[in-house]
Order: sequence, then structure tokens, then C-alpha cells
Amino acid sequence: MWRIFAIGSLAALLTGRALAQNTQPSELDTIKALLQEVADLKARVAALEARHEQPVTGEAANAPAVEPPKQPEVAPSESNAEFGVFRGIKFAGFGALSFKASDARPPESALLGFRDHSSSSFAVGDTSLFITSHLNSKASVLGEITFSETAEQGFEIDVERLLLKYELNDYLKLSFGRYHTAVSYYNQVFHHGQWLQTAVDRPLVVEFSDHGGLLPSQAVGVSVTGQVPSGHLGLNYILEYGTSDTHRPTVDGSGSAEIEEDNGQSTIVGLFARPDGLPGLEAGGSFYHDRIQPNGGPLHMGQSVVSAHVVYVTPRYEFINEGFVVQHNVQETGQTFNTPAFYSLISAKLGGRWRPYFRYQYVNANSPVFPDVKLRHGPSAGLRYELNDYVALKAQIDRTLRSSLAAFNALNFQLAFRF
Amino acid sequence: MKKHKNAVTGSIVVGALALLAGMMPAQSPQPKREDDLAVIVNPVNSVDSISSVELRKYFTGEKRSWRANLPVFLVVRAPEARERAVLLSHVLHMTESEYKQYWVKKVYSGEVPREPLVLFSNGTQLEAVRTERGGIALISAKDVRSGVKTIKIDGLLPGTADYPLR
Repeated sequence: MWRIFAIGSLAALLTGRALAQNTQPSELDTIKALLQEVADLKARVAALEARHEQPVTGEAANAPAVEPPKQPEVAPSESNAEFGVFRGIKFAGFGALSFKASDARPPESALLGFRDHSSSSFAVGDTSLFITSHLNSKASVLGEITFSETAEQGFEIDVERLLLKYELNDYLKLSFGRYHTAVSYYNQVFHHGQWLQTAVDRPLVVEFSDHGGLLPSQAVGVSVTGQVPSGHLGLNYILEYGTSDTHRPTVDGSGSAEIEEDNGQSTIVGLFARPDGLPGLEAGGSFYHDRIQPNGGPLHMGQSVVSAHVVYVTPRYEFINEGFVVQHNVQETGQTFNTPAFYSLISAKLGGRWRPYFRYQYVNANSPVFPDVKLRHGPSAGLRYELNDYVALKAQIDRTLRSSLAAFNALNFQLAFRF
Repeated sequence: MKKHKNAVTGSIVVGALALLAGMMPAQSPQPKREDDLAVIVNPVNSVDSISSVELRKYFTGEKRSWRANLPVFLVVRAPEARERAVLLSHVLHMTESEYKQYWVKKVYSGEVPREPLVLFSNGTQLEAVRTERGGIALISAKDVRSGVKTIKIDGLLPGTADYPLR
């Protein structure tokens, strides 16, 4: 009788365990992964057997608090296999379809492919091709070619960035070519490709200058960056010297011609800290200086931009704050014009796919170089939804208050993707 | 007869309890010391020990060179591997999706020239670290073979108490 009892109990136990296992589909995935790994390992066996090697004993691996086991010194393989360098050019792309409706009267300037004199329209905006090429373990090339849609649905091609980069070590990294300037944090981190940024659009002050932004966003020259030995403070420096040629369309819908700054050589010095104690935190600032002659006119100006930023960016949270003062000193009259500006953006990821965000931006342009901007400020609220790792949907509402014209509202939708 | 009936009843009760016990979800076993992941580098690398913070900085691309200007070459396992799961959960504190997006943004901001090399087995990880002088990878301590060097994390080797990659 007890034999029957024991066998019955054992059978029940095994059955139950089997049922429990059947309720865990993740184990099937694990088994599949293991099978895949076994197949991979089998493929490597022939090569591995050709090598002279002995397994490190389990005792050695588990030995507590001892020096690393003295493993035989084996010279790095002289085989032709180069894991570290991928020959050839790697392409990636970013695109978007945007819809914008606005009740601005008169309509604001049509930029980024939106139609002129229209209160609502679709636009593709900027389509960007990113090119990377690995030359050797220290040198690489980065390119960014942008196809910008015009209001007439034509496209203009622009080489936004083309850089030969060389990293000697963490303290000295050199870039030669055309770059996005370090005049702002946003300009350095977010490039063309709306998928890369949380919001539908860039804050006006850090918008690319050929889309109406106020800062010199591009230059051709040399950029030097690196770490400063500073322990847990994590200091980094930026030095840039180059030639910019800023031209910006007006944004107020007045139909005024583009403003050509005719910039001279520009210099940027920047410093920022990324403390070890709080990964994601960065605080710093930069100073930009060049000389301009707007529209080739009679006035010559010294242009300086002082910026400061405090950001906290992790995969889940984003809190970006950046402030500026743009100063123009007129050589002929001795007058000084200061344009303060700032923006602040906060967002948090909810449930893995949703990211609501809020942004406030402010510009008080008091300079003959920005006659169309004047005082503009207002909030934006939006929601980003990640369909997958490649496609994001965004919806955003803006309210913009203007000192010389009535306030207006805008509604934006965007399908942003990478490929 | 009564004795026989009691025995059958007892058998059914105990069997049912055993069935229920068996159906309880199997608890995931606590990682043991033999499950530790070793951080391996090429033997020519003079570094023998790094901190957890430095490990994070290497695998986020914030630190890009070893001593003597030796460029760091990151090697990671493909999704589903335990090495990758531990890297994401213990070192980077990211999900798989967040990790992919992080590197896309990092590469196209121009901050780093490329993403880490993704490999499908520990054997190929070993081969990559042996081949690349600046190579670094996480690998099960049981799979460590000659031709690579295991370095300490926060002064600890795999198998010791409080080792962070378990």
C-alpha cells in the first residue's frame, strides 16, 4: 500500500512540476537561445581546437580574494580577422512626416517644408543620411547629408557635417571639417533627424540658423575636445576655431529677405562636468565670439554668445535647461544689444513606450540682427509614443505669445523614424 | 477494509498536496558564485582592476581609451544571453530597447565612432578580446580561457563575496 502511495505522490509531483514548467514560455526562449548558442559554438570548435589552450580551472575562477590566475601569456592573434575595424561605409537615415496647423494671423513663415500662406499643411521637412566609416582604431569619418524640403516641395541638399575624427585618447579628440558648433548643448547632442529628439521641433533659439534659429549652428574648421583630469567631477573641455556663414530666414511671416551675417572666424571655448555620483547629470557652458557684417551693410558688429546648461538625461527621464545671452556690439556707434533666451524641457517615460513632455521657451530679441523675433515665449506640451525601436509618433500643442503681434496656437503631429 | 480506505485517502491527500507543490512556479534560483561574470581584457592591457563606475563608463562609451592611448574596444553578447542581461541590469541600468536607442544617439551625435561589437557566443567573445588589444567583454567565469586576462571590479575577483557581477 505504501508503495502505491509513494508512486502516486511522485507521479503527482512530477506532473505538477511539468505543468508549472509549461506555464513558463520564457524557458522555451531560453532553450532556443541555448540551442542557437550551441550551434554557434559548434561552428567555432574547429578554430578553437587549432589553438593551444587549457581551461582555467573552476577553482581558479572561484578562488576568493586572490590575485588573477597566472594565465599563459598568449600574444594577440596575428590573424587577419579585425574585429575592431569595419571596412566600408555604414549608412543610416532619419526621416519624418509632419503636420502642423496654426491660427497665427498673419501666418508665420513657412519653414521646414510647410506651405507658404497656409494655416495647415503636411511636410517631410529634413531627411538626413548619416554616414560613418571606420578608418582604423583611432580614426573615423562622420558625415551628415540633409535633404531639406522647401515650401514649394523641392529639396535642397546640404552637407551638414563632414568630419575626419581622430581620438588620441580620452584627453585629446580632434575633428576636422564641417561641424555643428558647441554654441549650445542642444546643437551638439541633437542633429538633423527628428526621431532623435523628444519634441516635434527644436526650441527657436537653438533651431538650425537656416530654419530661423538665432545662433550660428554650423562652422567649418577644427574642433578639439577631451576630458580634463578632475577625478569624480568629470570635467570636459571643448575648443573650436572655424568659419561660419550664418544666414537665417525671418520667422514672423513678414516676407523679409534672409539675413546674411557674413561672419568672420569664430572661436568657441566650453567646459562641462559629468559627475560620477549622478550618471546623466551634466552642467556646463560655453563662450562664442566672431565678427559679423549683417547683409554686407554699413554696420560691423562683434557677436558674442554666452550659454549655460544643466541637464539630467537618463533613458527614463529628460530634464534639459539651457540659457543664453547673445550680445551684439556695433563698432560704428558703440551700441550694445543683448538678447536673452532660454528653454526648459522635461519628460519622463511611462510604461516603456509613452513619453509625455512639457517645454517652455523664451526669447527677448533686442538686436537689429533679429528684427523679426522680438519678444516671443510660451509653453509646449506633447506626447511621444514609441511604436518600436525605429518609429515614434508625436503630438504637440504650442502656445506662442508675441510682443508685437497676437498670440497664437499650433497643433503638431509627427511620424518620425530611422532606417 | 477501514485501514485500506484510510491509506487510500491519505495517499490522495498527500498526492494532491504534492501536485499543488509541484504546480507552484519554480522560484528562480539565487545566482551562485560559480555564476559570476568575469570582466576580461587582452593580456597586453596593463590594467588589472577598475571600479564599477569605470566599468559603466567603458560600456557607455564615456571612457574610450586605456592607459598608453590604447583605444577601448567593446564586445557584448547578443540579446537573450545572460552576459548581456547582467550588463544591462547591473552595469547600465537600461532595458534592451533603451540600450539600442542610447547607442544610436551616441553614434550619430558623433561622440563615438561605432556601437559595441555584438557576438553570439562566449567563444567568439574570447577570440575578439584575444585579437583586439583594447578589447573588454563580460563573460561567464566558467568560460574564461587562456589568452585573456580577468580584471578585478572594485578590487574583487569573480567568486568572492559581494562581487558585483553575479
